[in-house]
Amino acid sequence: MTIVSLHGRDAFRTKGRPDDGRGEIFDQSPPVDDDQSAAPGRDDRARFARLVLPHLGDAYSLARWITGNRADAEDVVQDASLRAFRAIGSIADGNARPWVLTIVRNTAYTWLRKNRPSAVLVVEDLEAVETAQANPGEPDSETPETALIAKADAADLQAAITALPTPYRETMILRDVQGLSYREIAEVTGVPIGTVMSRLARGRNRVIKTIESSAS
Amino acid sequence: MTPSMNYEDPRLPAHAYLDGELDPANALAVEKRLAVDPALAAEYGRIDALQRLVREHLPREAPPPGLRTRVETAVGMQRPRTQLARTQFSWRALAASIAVTAVVASSATSMLLAPSRSAMVRDGIVDAHIRSLMAPQPIDVASSDRHTVKPWFNGRIPQAPRVVDLANQDFPLVGGRIDVVGEIPVPTLVYGHRKHLISLSAVPESGRANSGPALSAVGGYNMYRWTEDGVAYWAVSDIAPADLDKFTELFRTSPPDQ
Repeated sequence: MTIVSLHGRDAFRTKGRPDDGRGEIFDQSPPVDDDQSAAPGRDDRARFARLVLPHLGDAYSLARWITGNRADAEDVVQDASLRAFRAIGSIADGNARPWVLTIVRNTAYTWLRKNRPSAVLVVEDLEAVETAQANPGEPDSETPETALIAKADAADLQAAITALPTPYRETMILRDVQGLSYREIAEVTGVPIGTVMSRLARGRNRVIKTIESSAS
Repeated sequence: MTPSMNYEDPRLPAHAYLDGELDPANALAVEKRLAVDPALAAEYGRIDALQRLVREHLPREAPPPGLRTRVETAVGMQRPRTQLARTQFSWRALAASIAVTAVVASSATSMLLAPSRSAMVRDGIVDAHIRSLMAPQPIDVASSDRHTVKPWFNGRIPQAPRVVDLANQDFPLVGGRIDVVGEIPVPTLVYGHRKHLISLSAVPESGRANSGPALSAVGGYNMYRWTEDGVAYWAVSDIAPADLDKFTELFRTSPPDQ
């Protein structure tokens, strides 16, 4: 237990503040009037508890699906939580889940780019390839049986989703696991709703085909 | 005639329909196409099967143990290190005082407000019904298919409400939405009757004894309230009390949906 939290703090110090100049200030001796201006108020903590903490489960789940790793996901969530805390004054009350997940997603990609650059796919390339390959009007000639899909087990499903290119995977997780609306997914992933819809359809169809081929 | 949606991929509306993302006109258009287009119906069946699979095997999860504490600690340490020693105590005291306040406040609240909580919920539900009538559409998910409406609730709230099909009794299901009543998300089903709408909200009230429907009227709207299996149901509408009574009876006596 202690080891885990120590590791967490270390991780935070060494790589937790990538590009946010404020971190440096906090690490040095505080300016004279720091107490009033920079210290987070009680209100900030209360807002953080109300707006961010309820979404830790979804935050962790998204981070794990993006990084593919539990320990990395926890580091990402911790880092993202700090970013959210610093910005807590700037968001409105209400449904903060898309906002929290946006920060988690961006933090996860920053982390990936730094630690596993090969895992980050250039999204534009993917879309171009897909568009070139896609045959929009083509009906599914093979028509996998729904019964076959229903028989798949958790491991099949996990593997099929894990094998998806990241943009499809994150869209499918946000929709089918976490239940975000198309509009919210568009907000979190920073793409138009039309792109959300086509990614979702392609991701689901790929998963269906993977499940089908592993079952037959 | 509503112009039909123009998607590059004709299968996208089937996804959007299952996801509860279509407005009533487009939802109806998809339902009609599904009836006559076997390829689309097969696509629908596959997506539906996949979504069931995901719900079964990949439920939304709680954060792993320790993560919450870790995050709270991290946020608490986000202060100048030189101040840490001095401030740690006050934060601890503050946390304790918040905890005490919360306990005192919550018990005081439950003592003081217990009798009128029901009235507060009632007002909140009437407000939500009125607001829904003013909104461009009274629902977040439009579908006459209870197998679409119920799953729509699943990813959003802990417990999806009981959904029954009363189309043959002249109370067609129009869709569903989530209202927020007293800071609690409440699933609400919307049924039609002639040209009127009925909002049926299901408020979790665990531990409450079952009770039969009781009629009340708030601001020109009739309401029936009853409790069943730890859920308080509120039916609100501007239809005549006799019709609302009939609806209430039908809903209560219809077999569960699964």
